[in-house]
Amino acid sequence: MSTLQAGRSAPQLTFRQKLSNFDYKASPYFYISPFFIMFAVLGLFPIIYTVNVSLYDWHLLKGQGDFVGLKNFELTLNDPMFWNAFFNTFSIFLLSAVPQLIMATIIAAVLDQAIRASTFWRMTVLLPYIAAPVAVAVIFTQIFNQHGGPIAGALEALDLPEIRWGFDPFPSHLAIATMVNWRWTGYNALILLAAMQAIPRDVYESAALDGAGRVRRFRSITIPMIRPTMIFVVITSTIGGLQIFTEPTLFDPASYGGANRQFQTIVLYLYEMAFPRRDFGRAAATAWILFLIVILVGLVNYALSRMIATQDIKNVRPPKASSHRAIGGSK
Amino acid sequence: MTVKLSRRTASVAAIAGSAALILSGCSSTDNGGSSDKPITLTITTFGTMGIDVNYAAYEKENPGIKIEATNLADGGAGRDDAYAKIAAGTGLSDVVAIEEGWLSTIAAVSDAFVDLRDHGIEDTKDQWLDWKYKQGTDAEGRVFGAGLDIGPQGLCFRGDLFEAAGLPGDREGFAAAIGGEDATWESFFEFGQQYTAASGKAFYHNPSFMWNSFVNQQEEGYYKKDGVTLNIEGNEAMKAQLDLIVENANIGAGLGGWGVGEQAKNDEFAVYVCPSWMLGVVSGYYDAGTTGTGWDFADVLPGGAANWGGAFLGVSESSEHKEEAAKLALWLAAPAQQAAAFEAAGPFPSTIEGQELVADSTSAFFNDAPVGQIFTNRAKGVVAQVKGEEDSVIQDNVFGPVLDRISQGEITDGDTAWNEAITLLNQLVP
Repeated sequence: MSTLQAGRSAPQLTFRQKLSNFDYKASPYFYISPFFIMFAVLGLFPIIYTVNVSLYDWHLLKGQGDFVGLKNFELTLNDPMFWNAFFNTFSIFLLSAVPQLIMATIIAAVLDQAIRASTFWRMTVLLPYIAAPVAVAVIFTQIFNQHGGPIAGALEALDLPEIRWGFDPFPSHLAIATMVNWRWTGYNALILLAAMQAIPRDVYESAALDGAGRVRRFRSITIPMIRPTMIFVVITSTIGGLQIFTEPTLFDPASYGGANRQFQTIVLYLYEMAFPRRDFGRAAATAWILFLIVILVGLVNYALSRMIATQDIKNVRPPKASSHRAIGGSK
Repeated sequence: MTVKLSRRTASVAAIAGSAALILSGCSSTDNGGSSDKPITLTITTFGTMGIDVNYAAYEKENPGIKIEATNLADGGAGRDDAYAKIAAGTGLSDVVAIEEGWLSTIAAVSDAFVDLRDHGIEDTKDQWLDWKYKQGTDAEGRVFGAGLDIGPQGLCFRGDLFEAAGLPGDREGFAAAIGGEDATWESFFEFGQQYTAASGKAFYHNPSFMWNSFVNQQEEGYYKKDGVTLNIEGNEAMKAQLDLIVENANIGAGLGGWGVGEQAKNDEFAVYVCPSWMLGVVSGYYDAGTTGTGWDFADVLPGGAANWGGAFLGVSESSEHKEEAAKLALWLAAPAQQAAAFEAAGPFPSTIEGQELVADSTSAFFNDAPVGQIFTNRAKGVVAQVKGEEDSVIQDNVFGPVLDRISQGEITDGDTAWNEAITLLNQLVP
């Protein structure tokens, strides 16, 4: 046979070789499949099924009713209680996410210094995260108890006016945000710390040689170089913050976010709609509206955190690629 | 819609049932356990129902049965838990406590519970108060709940505090001071004003208790007798009562909800409207066995007799041991056990014989008050109101917030209060 023909017809593979080929190509997919199978069953299916539910008149106990199209979305968006929950959620979200991320970054920067017993301190900041959220909420609810809690006692001792933590909107948001901050600041600090640890030390050294002080190095090197991690932390805090449920629920377990819905969040509104009010269709619609809100806010935050970090990075001369590599090798 | 539910429930039950068969090696014949193969029956209750004192006795009498009990904080928690599990078609305990406030919702999906007529409830039908038995029966005549307690109401009060304020502090004296059998809400609040003026302390902890009692006293509550038509807008009596509550907000302590034990111990308020099951809540604020706290119980209710609440026991259709579970539920709802629960926590029996059994009982916690006799008196002429499907939503989420704001001094006139309630009503119950 000519070489041309030989080239055309592939050499006959043995079964073993075929199997090996197949193994080479397909195995990775099998390795990663457990996650995707789990996700399809426990994640994707409920998400899609929720769309289906949201389009029907769906009574919690009696089940599926008539097809109503987008009426559930319309009703929810026209419900003042939804918007009340919406504003409460954002209020609590801002009161928790912003101070939390600032504190976490500062704590991470401090832990990033050469301090004694660094592992001890790093573990300590994670302790609040280990505590069960329910326990945290119960303890803080006692601390903020308007009638005889320690804060109320301190205010009374100082002759300051009483604060109605459980009744007035802003104080209740503050109390709930405190629980969230207490729990999550250390967690975020550790993630940011990991990112800071990955910054080549030589960059700091050369900046120091150039006369940059601590603050300047933090602002112009640390912040820009942990940008991807910062974006990750911002996005996860956004998702968590907008879905906040445990803390406001336990702040007053007898109601769904306060007797007057002073601290009813969107998820609590959803819960109230689904269970005591038994309107599953509208609860599903609310879930989808929340989903869209989270995506929207996530995108805005992504853009914002990119912008802020990029502006900063413009002010500093990026380290040369070669020095990068050298450090990467030596460290 | 109902057909759909039954089918879903049936299939889930079938799956659960077959899983159970496989797990138990196909030996589950539902004939009751034996001591070497015990059957575990789960039961979910809420609040202080007192029936838990009977579990040990039942286990002892029935060696093959083990009872696994869950008690939820209050009726609201019980409601949400039951709804979620009925919706899921699985997860309900074998025996489930149902509160009167959400009974009508359960009645609409009563096929989630077994018909107790299949388990012989009709044989003992006559032991219950007539209306109590009817409440646990749905439109098709299925009996889905065995009556447990009823909620006739008296007044829990702090005799020591009244006496310190120069007011009558003994049971008869206090009852007489607010008008005895002719006591009205006006005369009750008048007494409260005197108390607050003399002592400088709040009279009651939260107006929602007065409100609920008042609504329960009416012939028709949030719903008309048909259980479907709302009875709120344009209801002059309700409006007037809300006005009265606003006028007397100054003698309230502005405390919320049920968990006010610390404040009770600190003498921050002096009176509770006490349906029978409330006795357990009040004594529960103190350590077990505590007496001499100053709490007492009076044979009086402003505005006349009323029933507030009362529970039922249902057996879930998804139970693996329906026969055994029904047996347990009917036993727990029998007169002797109702009486034992009353002695333990105060819920007043819904059976005639049960009431006779407790007629002479006294409560050491409430200054040796003859609670059995008082509740027997308070239960005279009581007939439960017809509750509608959204009754508990209206109580908790329409009037609850408004009363809360009144007690916090945020609403100071009756018209505003009423209008806010109507606005909420229209938003929540369209």
